[in-house]
Amino acid sequence: MMKLTEKEISILKSISQIAGVFTVIVALTMIFSFIQLKSIDPLDNPALLELKEQYDKDPDNVNKAEQIRAMDLMARKAYYATRRQIETGSYLLLAGAIVFIICQRLITGNEKVLPSVPGDIPDLALKQKRGRQLLMISASVITVGAILSSFLLRSNLPDIRTAKTVKVEKSAAKDNTGYSLADNEKTVIAAEEFSPDATNYPFFRGQDSRGIAGGAGYPTEWDGETGLNIKWKLQVPANGKSSPVIWGDKLFVTGANGTHGELYCIDKNTGTILWTASASEIPGEPSVLPEMDAEAGLAVSSAAVNSNSVCAIFANGNLICLDHYGNKKWALNVGTLENVYGYSSSLLIHENTLILQHDSNERLSIMGFDTGTGQMIWETARRGHPVWSSPVIATFNSKTQVVINGNPAVTAFDPVDGKELWSVDCLSGDVAPSLAVNGTMIYAVTDYQKLAAIKPGAGASVVWEDNTYTSDVSSPVANNHILVIATGYGDVACYNPQEGDTLWTHYFMEQFYASPVIADNKVYLLDRAGTTHIVKAADTFELISVSPLGEPADCTPAFSDKKIYIRGKNNLYCISQD
Amino acid sequence: MTKHYLPYILLLIMLLWHAVLFAQERFPRPEFESGYVYPEYQQPLQRSQAWEYIDVGVLIAALSVTSWLALKKRSRQGIIWMSVFSLAYFGFYREGCICSVGSVQNVALALFNDGYAIPLTTLLFFLIPLVFALLFGRVFCAGVCPLGAIQELTGFKPVKLPRAVESVMAAIPFIYLALAVLFASMKSQFIICRYDPYVGIFRLDATYTMIIFGVLLLLAGIFINRPYCRYLCPYGVLLNIFSRFAGKHLTITPAECTNCRLCEEDACPYDAILPSNVDQVPVEPVKSRKRFIAYFLLIPVFAAAGGLILFNMAPALAGIHREVRLAKEIRMEKETGIEAVSETAVAFKESGQTEDDLFANEIDIISRFRKASPWAGIFLGLSLGISLVAMTTRKTRTEYKPHQGKCYSCGRCFRYCPVEVNNKSI
Repeated sequence: MMKLTEKEISILKSISQIAGVFTVIVALTMIFSFIQLKSIDPLDNPALLELKEQYDKDPDNVNKAEQIRAMDLMARKAYYATRRQIETGSYLLLAGAIVFIICQRLITGNEKVLPSVPGDIPDLALKQKRGRQLLMISASVITVGAILSSFLLRSNLPDIRTAKTVKVEKSAAKDNTGYSLADNEKTVIAAEEFSPDATNYPFFRGQDSRGIAGGAGYPTEWDGETGLNIKWKLQVPANGKSSPVIWGDKLFVTGANGTHGELYCIDKNTGTILWTASASEIPGEPSVLPEMDAEAGLAVSSAAVNSNSVCAIFANGNLICLDHYGNKKWALNVGTLENVYGYSSSLLIHENTLILQHDSNERLSIMGFDTGTGQMIWETARRGHPVWSSPVIATFNSKTQVVINGNPAVTAFDPVDGKELWSVDCLSGDVAPSLAVNGTMIYAVTDYQKLAAIKPGAGASVVWEDNTYTSDVSSPVANNHILVIATGYGDVACYNPQEGDTLWTHYFMEQFYASPVIADNKVYLLDRAGTTHIVKAADTFELISVSPLGEPADCTPAFSDKKIYIRGKNNLYCISQD
Repeated sequence: MTKHYLPYILLLIMLLWHAVLFAQERFPRPEFESGYVYPEYQQPLQRSQAWEYIDVGVLIAALSVTSWLALKKRSRQGIIWMSVFSLAYFGFYREGCICSVGSVQNVALALFNDGYAIPLTTLLFFLIPLVFALLFGRVFCAGVCPLGAIQELTGFKPVKLPRAVESVMAAIPFIYLALAVLFASMKSQFIICRYDPYVGIFRLDATYTMIIFGVLLLLAGIFINRPYCRYLCPYGVLLNIFSRFAGKHLTITPAECTNCRLCEEDACPYDAILPSNVDQVPVEPVKSRKRFIAYFLLIPVFAAAGGLILFNMAPALAGIHREVRLAKEIRMEKETGIEAVSETAVAFKESGQTEDDLFANEIDIISRFRKASPWAGIFLGLSLGISLVAMTTRKTRTEYKPHQGKCYSCGRCFRYCPVEVNNKSI
């Protein structure tokens, strides 16, 4: 340490004192500014909130919008001004503290070392004895404190012995009601709150497009080549990638030859084609087919059906709607559906509103049509880029909503008026898988990106995400206990839907395009070679059976009245044990 | 003359790094209608892995230099330099993270949870200072730990605390370590990081209560040197144990101790100098031996008592877990009708998770605490028993030397030794 004169030390002491006082003043000012900052929420300004309320009632009022913008900007400016004060203050505080520390160290370093003159040599034995006594006293004080706090802090916590009994009783009760299977506690039920119909499988991936089938007793073993459990087999007149949908005894599937699209109504019990509806020569139909993947064709989107209508859309934009007897109710062209791979979104019907996800390079929107008249009821623009996913219906907090896995946002719309309910940015790139939905969350995935679990609603947010297993075409399926993803490289992964932990994974050799379906506590996984792998819908992997179709298949199976309907590359199969 | 100022100039320059820190505070998004696209990355990107290894390299280099300064060069000024460097690098530049003190929790979490893979650099930050402690004593505390450095630089007017206060306070780090390991292994909280009093100063970004706590500790540290190291630091407990077996350790005198006793009173504010006892004859050796045996036999009793007390405390300790607190809040709401309004409670209600699941989870967490807490109690009981036994033994010392466990290797005592003073004058 350098040597300083008395005068220099005196100067340092003065500087140190000034720096100390300065530091204290700055600290107090900062505390005041900080409290002020904490109490300000720039967007919680009553005047601003009132203006926003007025604007909500009169959304076309441009002046109000401008006023809101100006006030919003002003509030933010004020907020940032306070923050700048704190920022500047912190530098001043640091500078003051450093000067103080430097001065003090220099002063201390120059103080002469004057060791105290030692007194008598301390009695070390006595010192040890006192040490032991003090340690025992300390330990006693701490022990008493610990015992007291263990009783004081325990209030309002459950007695775990009683709670365990209750837990056991509860699970026993579940067993009695058949809610859970007694032989395996880990077995889960496909859907608790969501109870899909056992007969009607009205959309792509069934009711609400969730990939969960109602009913039970579906076959687990079949062979398309030997005919084992194949009730009937029908060569569909025209090729297509659309999946079968079912209402009552009627199954509907689309196909296309070149530029000509058709909708087929088939008796689901016999495999007889009841009627065929053409979807050609509709005003507005483009003379040149839009750009599309060579393998896909016009009939990729699955039809949608309800009690009085069946609707189908084709990649040239032709949209038709008929009654269950093949009588055309209306037909129109929704405009060119030009996108990189060709249009593939399937239709939904909510009450009597046909919901169409419109994805083309020129226009991104969601549309609602009256199934009776074909009149467009509403259309809401969407932001981002075209995708190849299909909309799903979800219900959260008793609010039914149509949700789209888009790029970049997962967005929910009100099916009644098309208004956007919430949106959260999530994925980018080529988004083809549709969403999985359970009682609490929504799951979005696309390949080379990630799997994201989204908490829906106002302030929607991504709860967890993972990029180990992602699918490119196949859509995930979820209930409240498992989330299953079948990937384009043969891996199938099962996640804990709440936490995102991987529960199990299995490699199946073949790619998956068809979406997995949960039915009767089993997950049906149809690979591209046409083989269905049936595994237990549980948090541990258990393969139940492997059943080949005998031909490749990319379409998602349909489930109805103990029968499974699978569309292969050429044929449609009805699989039944009866 | 300039070289004496350099450490402080360096410190000042590093402090200016704070310009970037203010960008991280959250702020509600404006509602853009102009088509503005939010940037893809709205939070700072993760630091490159290479930098993590550079940090390990800096740690090893800093420990090596400090060991050389403390043991070979015997330069208090050099150690101050190292403190300034470490404060600037590990403190203000690296923002106090990762630090060896907090790494105790990562190790505990990794040991008791299969789902957590501890990063190699974190493990190295935990192990390397312990290895150095085993070789050269607590050189990490002397000039490498940023928490120690900030206290070392502000400790101007050391005073000794009464022995009784010192004894009570010295037990706290053991308790803190036991609880930190327990909470980390139970996936509850990283309390060492959460209640780190200085990290808020390093980042200029913490709750005001924590910044005030840190500033108060620094102010107290002007007189009661290194208060955090002495009365709180859980990692210091491990360093204390490892350092006792150090192969080489800093010495007070550079040559032979003359037993002049000049270092006895003021040289060490940490009471870490063991006096020579060569002149004192052992009293009542038989009684001492009996006392030793009695305390030795009491070790398992203390351990069992500690285990029992902590077992009893387990439900209360489980209250630190977020889900247990949430369950308590929701139960209160059900019992009293007072609406649970905390952010966690609101999020829980919006998530759709059932109360049954929440309460079942709570039971599960308390059960796990029941199993783990006794081990923390056994550790505390063993520490108490071993400390008492250590106080019944007598080792003959012919010279004044540092207590290898308690000594921070800070070199304050160097200038009190006339042997060194004489050498310098030569």
